[in-house]
Amino acid sequence: MLLVGESINVMTKRLRIAMRKRDPKPIVKVAVAQQKAGMDYLDINLGPAKRDGPELMAWIVEIVQDATDLPLFLDTSNVEAIEAGLAVHRGPAVINSISCRPERMDALFPVAAKYDAAFVALLIGPDGIPRDADERAMLAAEMQMRMAEEGIDEEKAFFDPIVLPVTSQQDQVQGCTGFMMVIKDLIPGAKVTCGLSNVSNGAPEELRPILNQTYLAMLMKFGLDSAIVNAAETDLVNVARGASEDAVAAVHSVMDGEDVDEAALSPLLLDYVKTTRVLLGESLYSHSWLKI
Amino acid sequence: MAVDIPKVAYSGAIREIRLGDGENAVTVGGETSYPFELFDGEMPNPPRIAMEVYDAAPEGWAEAALEPFAGVTDDPAAWAKRCVDDYGADMICIQLVSTDPNGADASPESAAETVKNVAAAVDVPLIVWGSESEEKDTEVLRLVAETCQDRKLVIGPVVEGNYRQLGATAIAYGHTVAASTPIDINLCKQLNILLADLGVPADQIIIDPTTGGLGYGLEYTYSVMERVRMAALTQQDDSLQFPIVCNLAPEVWKVKEVKTPEAEDPKLGDQKKRGVLMEAATAMSLLLAGADVLVMRHPDAIDQIRTAVDGLVP
Repeated sequence: MLLVGESINVMTKRLRIAMRKRDPKPIVKVAVAQQKAGMDYLDINLGPAKRDGPELMAWIVEIVQDATDLPLFLDTSNVEAIEAGLAVHRGPAVINSISCRPERMDALFPVAAKYDAAFVALLIGPDGIPRDADERAMLAAEMQMRMAEEGIDEEKAFFDPIVLPVTSQQDQVQGCTGFMMVIKDLIPGAKVTCGLSNVSNGAPEELRPILNQTYLAMLMKFGLDSAIVNAAETDLVNVARGASEDAVAAVHSVMDGEDVDEAALSPLLLDYVKTTRVLLGESLYSHSWLKI
Repeated sequence: MAVDIPKVAYSGAIREIRLGDGENAVTVGGETSYPFELFDGEMPNPPRIAMEVYDAAPEGWAEAALEPFAGVTDDPAAWAKRCVDDYGADMICIQLVSTDPNGADASPESAAETVKNVAAAVDVPLIVWGSESEEKDTEVLRLVAETCQDRKLVIGPVVEGNYRQLGATAIAYGHTVAASTPIDINLCKQLNILLADLGVPADQIIIDPTTGGLGYGLEYTYSVMERVRMAALTQQDDSLQFPIVCNLAPEVWKVKEVKTPEAEDPKLGDQKKRGVLMEAATAMSLLLAGADVLVMRHPDAIDQIRTAVDGLVP
């Protein structure tokens, strides 16, 4: 399981100011902390990066790699900025992302080929976010076809099925899970990643970790290869690294439809069981889901 | 060859709750299937209609909506009496619009007086609806609840911001709360859980999903109500196994398609017929989605709904 730290993000005010002033310290600090937390990659999210995107990306790639030597996910909608990052990046970088829209694929597949870069194949089509597992699978098949036409090695793609918040789009969480169940049959060898934390977007802050951990355990059952995560969530890293066997077993037993003896579970494991039921759509989400 | 008719596997039921008191009390809820699907389950209590009474003479209403209440629109007690005596209302919903702090800002005392007068005039169950201003409703509905503690009222809208105060009031006087959330199933469930945590008995809660009128968001309300019933009946979700009230009349009768006179836009057709049909169509849709109590205005629309319900629930 490859973990990608999500914390270098232009949306964080402190880092946005550092980026504007070209002050490496705050950015390097976040990078090093994520490396210590066990991240395999770091995501560099510059957003649209309309102003001086290429210069900014090249600068950040260099300071972060100088400090950590980790490979990076170059995360911006600015194509020139991605290319500028790839030009200075040491080792294999990952473009984050190429969506299933003709203009994005036309612009970025040649860049990926030129730098032999991997990329996140984001399953958003011309009509927006897919509505269920089938639409996700169709977009994945379309991306695969386009990659074949462009002569791009399938190994380079990390499919991202778009994780949506359980708080407002509970049925769409099942669309994402359903896609994970079929993708490895549909495209053997396909790799899958996801922006995990989105599953808990909108939930009370103190309850987000258990949603993130439970959903990670669920997706791992179907062979998730990578996840973009909050590195500060130690328990989440433990789930990813196989250090939370009891929790993962509890989640998987609910998924398998086994009769769970709730009275025999510790309060923490019971929380995982309840959370799994919510994420499977067996129980309707409310902020108090752990209390009922 | 025998044909197996597919059946939905229901695992839950809607709670029955009693509204009002005395011999005119009504019981709603109790469904064990989706609305009117009597081949699959039971609907022991037909849906009920509450007729609206306003605490101040209406302004800007369509002529068709005023005509049935000519002569009583400035006297809530007389208005309520006409609804019950002439139009056979099962319940009355007192809309306390004049308490709106952005409008006439009438005092809680005057609202309590109005409700008391209506309560003295009719003995059907009463719904008391605030101005949908969280803070003002807290004051107004608390005083109304106290003043009318000899009646079992439905008070609403009770929202996330005032459920503690109004929930406690309901517990103290035995009134029912209309738990109101903005067309969102997750928030709906959450508010019901919070009310239960507070100690409001399950037979004193009715769900208000927030109602959109025909052409103005009805489909969103419809979809949330459908999902409430699916979770309640097929997922044993006991935080959603409550009857549903829809305060639809103000939504239907405020839109331009109802208010525009035929002379101004002839292609819209007869103005009265139009308003009545829009109210009836909204009401019928909400019944099909699971409404147990409808707050309605025009007697002709109400007649149409009664006929339909009588046909569907023999």
